[in-house]
Amino acid sequence: MNSKERVAAAMRHELPDRVPVMCQLALGHYFLNCGLPEIEIWHSTEAFGEALITLQRRYHFDGILVNLPGRDPQWSSYIRHVEECNGEKKIHWTNGWTTVCPRDDNPHVYREDGTRYSAPFESIEPEKLFYIEPHAMNGIAYPAYWGFPDEPAREEDLFPPWQFDTIEYILQRTGEDVSIHSEVFSPFTQFLELLDYTRGLMALLDDPGKVKACLEALTRGTIALGRGQAARGVDAVLISSAFAGAGFISPDHYREFVLPYEKKVIEGIRSEIDVPVYTHICGQIGDRLELIQATGTLGIDTLDPPPLGNVELADAKERIGRQLFIKGNLDPVNVMLNGTPQEVLEEAKRCLEVAAPGGGYILSSACSIAPHSPPGNVLKLHEAVKQFGTYD
Amino acid sequence: MQLEEISRSLVRGDPGAVEKLTRQALDEGFPPRVILEEGLIAGMSVVGMKFRNNEMYFPEVLVSARAMKAGMAPLEPILKACGIEPMGRCVLGTVKGDIHDIGKNLVGIMFKGTGFEVIDLGVNVTLDKFIAAIRTHRPDILGMSALLTTTMVQMKVNMEGFRSAGLLDGMKVMVGGAPVTLKFAEEIGAHAYGKDAAEAAGKAAELMKDLKTAF
Repeated sequence: MNSKERVAAAMRHELPDRVPVMCQLALGHYFLNCGLPEIEIWHSTEAFGEALITLQRRYHFDGILVNLPGRDPQWSSYIRHVEECNGEKKIHWTNGWTTVCPRDDNPHVYREDGTRYSAPFESIEPEKLFYIEPHAMNGIAYPAYWGFPDEPAREEDLFPPWQFDTIEYILQRTGEDVSIHSEVFSPFTQFLELLDYTRGLMALLDDPGKVKACLEALTRGTIALGRGQAARGVDAVLISSAFAGAGFISPDHYREFVLPYEKKVIEGIRSEIDVPVYTHICGQIGDRLELIQATGTLGIDTLDPPPLGNVELADAKERIGRQLFIKGNLDPVNVMLNGTPQEVLEEAKRCLEVAAPGGGYILSSACSIAPHSPPGNVLKLHEAVKQFGTYD
Repeated sequence: MQLEEISRSLVRGDPGAVEKLTRQALDEGFPPRVILEEGLIAGMSVVGMKFRNNEMYFPEVLVSARAMKAGMAPLEPILKACGIEPMGRCVLGTVKGDIHDIGKNLVGIMFKGTGFEVIDLGVNVTLDKFIAAIRTHRPDILGMSALLTTTMVQMKVNMEGFRSAGLLDGMKVMVGGAPVTLKFAEEIGAHAYGKDAAEAAGKAAELMKDLKTAF
């Protein structure tokens, strides 16, 4: 059984030879551990593709999450110069904007006036929304446009021509053996990223009707993106829904502003191509596992344990584990980042003992592997599934 | 009128009503300190309790904070003119390299709701900027926030910077943020750690008692 088959079996609740292992890695972890310049990993389709493959092979992961869009092949021609200061690189673009690139964290784009853009709620016209890409090379934009030359997105082309390049790059090199997952952002996540979190959350109470019109428009774009990814041949599509836990909103607001739109996204993608769609949702979600299930998702990723979240794995397995596959629950900070390799092994063993029986479990850190997590700790996950995760 | 009406409107997140009722209370001769404590702070105290009990969430807290701000508009100049001091002064900021502000903003809301004066330095605050703000504002409490594992280590650097600059006498340092733990707070020598914004405000009030006892 190869990695692709192993992950597919786990997602279908069939018993593979062993529990698969795959983690989402913080971009900073790639920057620190791949031997490639962080500017290139962030901005170049090929460099990011190489980084994904390098760490998948090094850590013996069964899958890869492609969590950046393809990039404009001309990206480097828009650079005026790069300045280095206190270990950070600062790109000065030809349009006057800058991108600050820390060596261990996501880059941030600043406009000419030195501010990061977010849209005032009053200025948003829902019908102009389609898809907000939080990881766009030029930062958050409204209405959407494609790159630094400020070329407006053309209506007949929903996404730029390079949008799916990273997926295609990865599939060409690993697609037969490794499970390749793509990522779309939940309409709710896009909405909060567009407005900034404070404004976005207040808008839920100030003008719920307009918020819903925005979410409806963003749902259409999300479906189009997910369909495009599925059409390229990914093995699963992940909905990134990081702001839908109790750290942000109530179960009632989840029911009103998240559930119906993620349900439409899942139905919309799967109505065209029968690809598994599952959900990444962080933090305090113990009170809403059944609501997440009601979106029609096939699995839930992260399941942060206390103290970062409030999900007890045994409880989650009991409540949703027979219908949905579960991925995660290994504490990314107190175990994966700050623990010893032995502690990682013991915690992974605990997760496997609780969640592996009956299938439907993928061993993973809850949330991303932090940038400075020791590679020796990450390697222990593969050792754990070989030692404690077999179904023979 | 009853000052509970102000509290109830604040919990409901109605800025227009809170401002109108606060002005009415002033017109009716209620002492400004009483309006502050029994109207606005009492309302925010309910908000904090409901937030901790998962009866209110982030959006509801934000609109309550907006309502409190509306009530403070007519009240604040009078409080200042009367020489009524806040419970304490707090400088807040998200540490260098970190641009996340929502948790820090919530802490600021809860601190204000407890009666603190809050000076918010924003995000990506360098050690030099913290030090300059401490020298300018002489806060009782300095709060540092970090959402990322990569930036929480900056809290340790800052603590060492404050110590070297001799700024820890008479000032308490609090830390918080998703990856921050009590153990980490103790390791870097912070005086308190708040698991969430409501807990942080409660601990800040306790720290103020320590500071007042020390002097």
